[in-house]
Amino acid sequence: MQINEQKEKNLQKQLRREAINRNWKLFSQSKLGMIGLGIVTFFLFLALLQPVLFFTGLWSQGVYNPVVGYDRITETKLVVECPKEYPTPEYENYASCPGDGEVQKKMLYLAQGVEVGDMYEVYLQPAPPSIKHILGTDSLGRDVFSQIMEGSQVAFVLGLLSATLGVGISTILGTVAAFYGGRVDRYLMRQSDLVLMLPTLPLLFIISAFAELKIWHLAVVLGVIGGLGGSVITIKSQALQVKVKPFVDSARITGGSQRKIMFSHVLPNVAPLALLFMVFSVTGAIASESVLSFLGLLNIDMSWGLMIYLSQTDGFIFSGLEYWWLILPAGLSVTFLAGGFYLVGRGLDDVFNPRLRKR
Amino acid sequence: MIVVFFIFLVSSYLLFNAIPGNAFSNLLLNPNLPPDAYEKVLQTYGLDKPLFERVQLYVVNFFKGDFGYSYKYYPQTPIELIAERLPRTLMLFSVVNIISFYTGFFVGKVLAWRRGTKSETWITVTSVFSYTVFYPWFALMMLWFFGYKLGWFPIGKFLYPEKWYDAPFDSDIIFAMMIKFVVVISILQFIAYTVSRGIEALSIRRNIRFTSLVLIFIGSYFYWNTGEALVRKPYAADIAYHMILPVLVVTIVAFAGTALLTRTTMMEVLKEDYILTARAKGISQKRIRDRHAARTALLPVVTSFIFTIVTIIDGSVLTEQIFSWPGMGQLLLQSVLNEDIPVAMAAFSFVGVFALLAHLIADISYSYLDPRIRIKSQG
Repeated sequence: MQINEQKEKNLQKQLRREAINRNWKLFSQSKLGMIGLGIVTFFLFLALLQPVLFFTGLWSQGVYNPVVGYDRITETKLVVECPKEYPTPEYENYASCPGDGEVQKKMLYLAQGVEVGDMYEVYLQPAPPSIKHILGTDSLGRDVFSQIMEGSQVAFVLGLLSATLGVGISTILGTVAAFYGGRVDRYLMRQSDLVLMLPTLPLLFIISAFAELKIWHLAVVLGVIGGLGGSVITIKSQALQVKVKPFVDSARITGGSQRKIMFSHVLPNVAPLALLFMVFSVTGAIASESVLSFLGLLNIDMSWGLMIYLSQTDGFIFSGLEYWWLILPAGLSVTFLAGGFYLVGRGLDDVFNPRLRKR
Repeated sequence: MIVVFFIFLVSSYLLFNAIPGNAFSNLLLNPNLPPDAYEKVLQTYGLDKPLFERVQLYVVNFFKGDFGYSYKYYPQTPIELIAERLPRTLMLFSVVNIISFYTGFFVGKVLAWRRGTKSETWITVTSVFSYTVFYPWFALMMLWFFGYKLGWFPIGKFLYPEKWYDAPFDSDIIFAMMIKFVVVISILQFIAYTVSRGIEALSIRRNIRFTSLVLIFIGSYFYWNTGEALVRKPYAADIAYHMILPVLVVTIVAFAGTALLTRTTMMEVLKEDYILTARAKGISQKRIRDRHAARTALLPVVTSFIFTIVTIIDGSVLTEQIFSWPGMGQLLLQSVLNEDIPVAMAAFSFVGVFALLAHLIADISYSYLDPRIRIKSQG
């Protein structure tokens, strides 16, 4: 008897392994899915790298901490005085006056005894990329690369948490609605109508006005809003299709309890769609977080959206590409990570939706 | 439905009340005001009553059709404010939606058809990029590039105030006129397409479509050069000039969603047997793509398109904030941030009713477009 059980368990394990192998093969066939997986892995690597660097002491907290770190980078510059009228032989127009390696005398009002023609040591903040700071420093002298790493941690925690929560809620509610029908179904559908009616972004503004939103809170809020909204309807329609399949009937005839049928027959068949939803909702969560911190409404120490917010409030975003390390890395990180998750979702779609497969 | 709407009203009112402070808290900061001024103002606006009473009053008055007065723009009612702002948003986003729907559908069609080729991968990567791009950042970059660096388009606002000093009418009339114009033109174009769809010969069909396009162009030229429209033309041109950049940016972001959805549904359709039959019959590739596959793939795309209309106002918040376009989105955002509860409530419920209606329309259009559903429901 025991041997049989053991055998059964081994068989189950083997089957599961085979299924995973098969699905992996299908997934690896889609080129875009692999690109997406590569991007996501890259950012995951970045997110995990930062604590390692701090722990091993390669990076000291004082310099590289994304929030309170500070590094003094100086450059020696020639002190000049800008002419009142242009063009002069040295300067063509107003914009070219403090040229490369030059600093205006007017700017050094705190330093005493500096004359035109002296060499003067100036703090570079924001400093351009160097070997020590791969992506330079921001206007407060903090390392941008470290901020990007911190931001990817935030994005992963927030995205995965809110997506898991949201999909968990919507899967259970959708299955329950499909399975029990009647009054429960009607109630749940009205509820998701209600959530769909609320405009998401202003709602988040309101919530951020009366609650100090940390990452965890935001993840819960986003997850609940996403989980109660439209995805319940989609999951319900999928569960309805599963419910009328013959194997559910046969389970009922053999005497399976309601709960057993729901959890071990209907739910697993809804799960692939739910997983797909999860991957896509990660994209949405990352975007919402960035938008909220871009508008300065979150109580977060550091994130990609906040980096863009800071570069905007400091006035660097309209300086064009002169300070590109303040503008491009954060914006591109948000875009690429969201796009990476989207592409992974695409790849999974190919796996779970046989109608889309090539062969 | 009424019950849902009732709960919606009450819960959003409570949400607004949960925000600390109220619209007049900043009066307390002014040392020159007598201390009882604040209380007096609260009394005038009825904010001193207990919460339960206020909710009751608001909901009852709401169903009577009385939305109160705006706190911030006092003599104006929320309805007036919405009526002023809505045309601007509608104008901007109706143009965006029309353009992005057609380009998105076309790109998706081509993508699915060229499956497996190198160009497909590249176009997909580009559209995924523009689908997931961090929108405010992208908009600011575009604003910098086109508005500042190249200087082609104005940076923000929807008109040059200098030009409008001696305008004999306000901008909303122009907006209403432009909306009418766009709607009429798109309806005419749609009619031309539906009429010519029945014609089999490709060359005749193409000629008819081309002629209709030319006719519409000539017609609109005459329209803008006669009578009242001639006076309004420079003002309309001013608004149109300010619209170009927002429309461009939002279209780039919005078309990708349609394109990717079309690609997916199209790929499902291409697996169907009747496509194989059509191929076996020897029909030209283009015809199979446009007539057999794309028609069927249109269904979910249209539905999701209607759903995106729901999110117009929701999505316009960011766009209007960045381009300082004074429309519904800005009204919504500012009323929420200023705690101008009557306006915010009216805007919220407007969005809610809009959403409900759009869902209804989506259901109806789905059963209209897909005969299978109609037949099933008839029994």
